[in-house]
Amino acid sequence: MLSKLMSFGLTGIDGFLVEIETDLVGGLPHFDLVGLGDTAVKEAKERVKSAIRNSGFEYPLKHYTVNLAPADLKKEGPVYDLGIAVGILSASEQILNRDYKNYIFLGELSLDGRIKKVRGVLPMLISARALGYKNFIIPKENEREASFIENINCYAFNTLKEVVEFLNREINRDDYKVKTVRFEDIALLNTNKLDFENVKGQRMAKRALEIAAAGGHNVLMIGPPGSGKSMLAKCFSGILPNLTFEEALEVTKIHSIAGELDLKQGIITERPFRSPHHTATAVSLTGGGVHSKPGEISLAHNGVLFLDEFPEYSRNLIETLRQPLEDGYITVARAQQTITYPASFTLIASMNPCPCGNYGSKDRECTCSPTQIHRYLSKLSGPIMDRIDIHVEVDNITYRELNDENKEEPTKNIKERVDKARAIQLERFKGSKVFCNAKMSVPQTKKFCKLSPECQKLMETAFTNLKLSARAHDRILKVARTIADLAGSEDIEPQHIAEAISYRGLDRKYFSV
Amino acid sequence: MNRKILMFLSYAELPTKKIERVMEIVEEKNIEEIKPLVDDKEVMNLLSTNEYASLVKKCDDRVFSSYLNNLEKDGIKVVTLEDAEYPDKLRYTDDAPMLLYCKGDLSLLNKDCLSIVGTRMPSNYGRFVTEKFAGALAMAGLVVVSGLAYGVDSISHRKTLEVGGKTIAVLGGGFNHIYPEANTNLANEIAEKGLLVSEYPPFAKPTKYTFPLRNRIIAGLSLGTLITEAGKKSGTIHTKEYALDYGRDVFAVPGNINSLKSELPNSLIRSAQADCVLEPEDILLKYNYNAKKEEKRAVEVNMDEEVIIKLLKDGEKDFDYLAQFSKLPVNILNSCLTTLEIRGLIKRMPSKTFMLN
Repeated sequence: MLSKLMSFGLTGIDGFLVEIETDLVGGLPHFDLVGLGDTAVKEAKERVKSAIRNSGFEYPLKHYTVNLAPADLKKEGPVYDLGIAVGILSASEQILNRDYKNYIFLGELSLDGRIKKVRGVLPMLISARALGYKNFIIPKENEREASFIENINCYAFNTLKEVVEFLNREINRDDYKVKTVRFEDIALLNTNKLDFENVKGQRMAKRALEIAAAGGHNVLMIGPPGSGKSMLAKCFSGILPNLTFEEALEVTKIHSIAGELDLKQGIITERPFRSPHHTATAVSLTGGGVHSKPGEISLAHNGVLFLDEFPEYSRNLIETLRQPLEDGYITVARAQQTITYPASFTLIASMNPCPCGNYGSKDRECTCSPTQIHRYLSKLSGPIMDRIDIHVEVDNITYRELNDENKEEPTKNIKERVDKARAIQLERFKGSKVFCNAKMSVPQTKKFCKLSPECQKLMETAFTNLKLSARAHDRILKVARTIADLAGSEDIEPQHIAEAISYRGLDRKYFSV
Repeated sequence: MNRKILMFLSYAELPTKKIERVMEIVEEKNIEEIKPLVDDKEVMNLLSTNEYASLVKKCDDRVFSSYLNNLEKDGIKVVTLEDAEYPDKLRYTDDAPMLLYCKGDLSLLNKDCLSIVGTRMPSNYGRFVTEKFAGALAMAGLVVVSGLAYGVDSISHRKTLEVGGKTIAVLGGGFNHIYPEANTNLANEIAEKGLLVSEYPPFAKPTKYTFPLRNRIIAGLSLGTLITEAGKKSGTIHTKEYALDYGRDVFAVPGNINSLKSELPNSLIRSAQADCVLEPEDILLKYNYNAKKEEKRAVEVNMDEEVIIKLLKDGEKDFDYLAQFSKLPVNILNSCLTTLEIRGLIKRMPSKTFMLN
């Protein structure tokens, strides 16, 4: 007997249809699994065999051939277990209803017949829906992920036995149907743990982060260890605008593929905050690898990528950030395949002013030699610095400041201002692909950052007196535009330019030894 | 004195003392060419095995003359003890170099020079003091001499060039090996607008022994030596020792007694080895120079800016302090500080600290 049913696979974040064909003939007992599967796919035969037997079904001693079509695309992971099991059961006529042909089966089997969660359910459902498939059978554990997708019939099960009963119409179908949840209902539950309210002092850094959030600018924080750089960065995602449903789906997709999704929550409602350590390898950052998974920069998509101790990252690691910072996606080209993952994030980098961290500090002595400092600072290459708009210094706060009774501004208030500035930008860039000031192209910068003669003059004196480098020019214009938006001002005023200039510390070379 | 032979001895990288002795023999025997020089028994006995080996190895007329041509092509001028350009101040010190390789404006050698030396890692205070003195001295017309090292040295050179003054940098190696490499651009600028000096041929690499030696040229070229900030064990001590040996003035700027980086100037002042100077005029008066006052433009400041200036009159302050006591919103404060800085009224230091200029 031959049976055919459907399942799904993934390349990058897009899915493709996989047909599972099971043929069962007499002869010596044997099991062949073809169709370019990896080891996890090949091992399915043992899991399927035990799962079928332990669910109370018969596993006839026959010659099995299972084909995963298309045969030339690589299949990964245990997601086909359930499909193969159902295929065998229908080929051996234990499932009589032909209904199973309408469903897409996703799920891993355990030896006792339970269905276990798999990675990437959400992106597979979304791609399948786009291809016109409506009916799905998925693991119960992945139920939440599926509940945000409308216009599909999705059924979630705990065991193989339930699936068979379902297909044979022995149980009430509606009991297993996944109920749709509205995104808006859970997005409101959004609680950010860290609030700017709890960060004492650091007014300059807070202001810089507010501007960064408002205009989508990348930030470099410079300061000695223990001055609160990481804390500030963690608060930062709280002042970014809320995720829209489309953005949330995109983020969830990526996290689902990486297997990093909180299955109880099912969808990601907060902007992600990723902080890979500086010993991370290039592949872990960009994604790819043998079992292609999105890397840290894609997991930070629509959120924040925080790189602590920026110069400690290896040079080629930092350079790999160039494409995503420019284009918003990363293309991982390997011999076997080329995958593109979205990676549009705000980069927050932090660094010490020197290897020991105390260079320029008011109360601690720096023990580094000038050569060490020079080498440390020169690790930041020009091209990467070109993509960072705001440099801000963070210094240790004093005990007095720490115990200051004055209330600090809570995240909520800052966020309101950011949201307003973003709204202005959305209006401004209507119809173009750009949605924030940081991403303005050169002609757009020319168009939207017109300077009055007064501003021109200020810029000119600033450049000669402060010895700014040429690369600072456009950065200053963009940041000034954001500052003007925050102030609700139509034109860029001199004070906006002046403030923007103060965030170009590293161009100013007062750090040089 | 036979110039060619002298150049050859320097080309063979003999130490100054040995060059002097060999030159005596050359005078005595009237040796004209390098070949007979190398063959000379007395010269051979005088030199150590290594030195003599180097002499023999380099003894190739063709290679040597192409080396001389290259010097000319690179714009390197050689000034020997007998040349008029050789500065008198240096000539009469007891271990004066026999010849100086120079790149730039030779006339600076005989002008009134003052050297500014100190730590390679100055504090904000040291930076401020160095810039203040270098700027004022250079504007008054003194030539600022230093050693192109990190820290105080390069700050003095940079500040001097910035105000349009003249500066001499004395290197611890040849011109092809600028040390630290990071200062290559600065060295090029000095060669263009000031003068680079070295007693070593261009191909010579600096070693840890050559740096203390070049300090004698720094001290020898100058009427006085100013120490702005230096630790107890700083190499600056050498420069000071040479300056005192040569009977030159030593000036020191006092610092905080807690600061490790002001230990040397403070202790020099205590032991009366150095004159305590508090402002550039103290030095200028001594040499009959008039301080050129920068025209204080009447600058208009608005109310917010006045508040900031008032707070800064108390000494350097950091951003959060200013924010707290000026009661200005952060964005206004930030733009005020930048405007004040652009107009040259205040100065920004690392770790978001500000001070009055």
